[in-house]
Amino acid sequence: MKNLWVIFKKEIYRVVTDKRLVLGVFILPGLSIFLIYTIIGTAIGGQMDEEQAHVPTLYVENLPGEVEAHLDAHMDYTLQEGTIEEEALREKIREEELDLAVIFPEDFAERIDSREGIPEATVFYNQGSNHSSNAYNNFNQAMGAYHENIIMDRLDDPSDYHPYELGTVNLVDERNVVAQGFAMLMPMLIIIFLFVGVMNIGPDAIAGEKERGTIATLLVTPTRRTEIALGKVLSIALLSFASALSSFIGILLSLPQLMQFDDTLPDISIYGIGDFAVLLLVLIITVFFIVALVSIISTYAKSVKEATTLIMPFYFIAMIIGIMNSFGTDVNQSLLAHLAPIYGPINLLAGILTFEYSLVNFFATVLSTLVYTSLFVVLLNRMFSDERIMFTR
Amino acid sequence: MNDLLVKDLRKTFRLSRKQRRIDRTKERRKVAVDGLSFTARRGEIYGLLGPNGAGKTTTLRCIATLISPDEGDVRVDGKSVLTDSLEVRQYISFLTSELKLDDFFTPNYLFDYFSRLHGVDAATRKKRKKDLFKRFGIDRFAEVKVADLSSGMKQKTSLAISLVHDPDFIVFDEPTNGLDVLTARTVTDYLLEMREAGKAIILSTHILSVVEKMCDRVGIIIDGRLQAEGTLDEVRRTDADANLENVFFQLVEQSEVAAA
Ligand SMILES: Nc1ncnc2c1ncn2[C@@H]1O[C@H](COP(=O)(O)OP(=O)(O)O)[C@@H](O)[C@H]1O
Ligand SMILES: [Mg+2]
Repeated sequence: MKNLWVIFKKEIYRVVTDKRLVLGVFILPGLSIFLIYTIIGTAIGGQMDEEQAHVPTLYVENLPGEVEAHLDAHMDYTLQEGTIEEEALREKIREEELDLAVIFPEDFAERIDSREGIPEATVFYNQGSNHSSNAYNNFNQAMGAYHENIIMDRLDDPSDYHPYELGTVNLVDERNVVAQGFAMLMPMLIIIFLFVGVMNIGPDAIAGEKERGTIATLLVTPTRRTEIALGKVLSIALLSFASALSSFIGILLSLPQLMQFDDTLPDISIYGIGDFAVLLLVLIITVFFIVALVSIISTYAKSVKEATTLIMPFYFIAMIIGIMNSFGTDVNQSLLAHLAPIYGPINLLAGILTFEYSLVNFFATVLSTLVYTSLFVVLLNRMFSDERIMFTR
Repeated sequence: MNDLLVKDLRKTFRLSRKQRRIDRTKERRKVAVDGLSFTARRGEIYGLLGPNGAGKTTTLRCIATLISPDEGDVRVDGKSVLTDSLEVRQYISFLTSELKLDDFFTPNYLFDYFSRLHGVDAATRKKRKKDLFKRFGIDRFAEVKVADLSSGMKQKTSLAISLVHDPDFIVFDEPTNGLDVLTARTVTDYLLEMREAGKAIILSTHILSVVEKMCDRVGIIIDGRLQAEGTLDEVRRTDADANLENVFFQLVEQSEVAAA
């Protein structure tokens, strides 16, 4: 088994000394993810800041004093001076020159006091404009407060308005809120990153060698087919793990930017060393599973292109399982769900991240994944000894 | 016991539908080698002469354990390709233009890598590398990536690397094919020298002059069968003018008649 190590070292050396591969496999994944998420985060954050900073311009005819007091209490705004015809008013709101217009009848307040019929005011706004919609919402809240005051005045006993009190106590564990967020996103991202990492390395290391005719040179040396197969699997696993790690670092570094619109920055420190160790173990066995799968396909394929094409369906299936998991509310705790390939690890990852996994499920996933991987490696070994697969014309 | 023995070797290939169409045949299996037997001895160059498609490459691949025979066996120094393929690969050197070197690496790196795979110790490796690189003029290019080598230099690097373990048996498929005159000369000179050093050499070729210049014994293979065998003189003598070309063409004609 000495040659396994020789092959392993050469495979690693091949990748880490190739500037093009180092860039494409270790640097670009993390860097591009960091840039994309930072740009998205900055854009979203910028938009929110801008919205918050915007002071809407209101045009109001016959603004009653009491309404004005409520408006002042609920929002910042500037009033448009002068009188504007209704047609022009509609136009200005459509064009977003004005954010909101309200036309009160002259005797609005008096009629409310004297209870003479129901006075009618008209509000113009533009739902297609964020500024206008926001102004409309704030205006509605101010009017709600005004409305409440009027009712209270009309009642003989103001306490009639509050037939009961409702006290609420929110006992949220901040840790769980963060954990839920992680459990929603991370398992999917982990699977995608691992898969992409393996696809960056696997097809070229095996199908590429077949395509270029270099594998035959290796096959005529006194090396066991098992050593070649395992040397490939182990080196691909290490390299693709590093590649996936690059993506993780990218996403971790971009988290502050991405989450800036949320006050609660996710804090990884809710997880202890033990959690991370379990997480790492699951990641490692999952990498081996994916590597074994991709290796089989790459060995079967005659070229890198064919291998990549054949892997795609599996990648999409894994991605769909991951996405489905993010939309599910709870971790599927059934034993069967933990035995399934890909779905098992995703479930277990979500379980670990939400501190809700049983030892049984943990072992179910770890052991079943190891069994699948071993079967794949046995098959791979057979394939490496099969001349029809290694020498197709 | 010390020889390389090919015994009743038979190898068939399953033909894909595409291959059947190309070969215009309905047969599902192609018999590439059909009951071939011969012996290559130490201190001798054995030439497998035959037209294209005769089964030469297939035979040599069986010897190199890249493919396994349907029937028969190959014994290299007593070790069978069927049961001791690892040892067989340890004893032989197999060279064909299909065995490529990874463009990314340098001759120096590749020599070390394949030496390790053959379990050659560091001191021997250094000395052997120095000798072989000097002999084939690779020394100046030792640190140049294979991708940047000329095709002649690539071939010579492949040759050097196939010899990292100083094998007793050298199996060479079409040794001078596609080589420029100078490189071809270096290769043939080296093979002659290896014969003097007591190695057993098998080479395949479809070129008569290669056989006439280098081989001690020759087997003429047509359609997977050995049609004539013996020392160069013995085979030549079957023709009135002792002309190898005549012998060869007569055999090809005969087998065409038989096939028709
Ligand atoms: N892998 C293969 N699949 C199908 N047919 C093959 C394969 N390898 C060789 N053959 C066929 O076997 C015959 C002998 O081929 P080969 O040994 O390459 O001949 P040579 O080297 O003498 O030119 C040819 O007809 C060839 O088409
Ligand atoms: Mg050939």
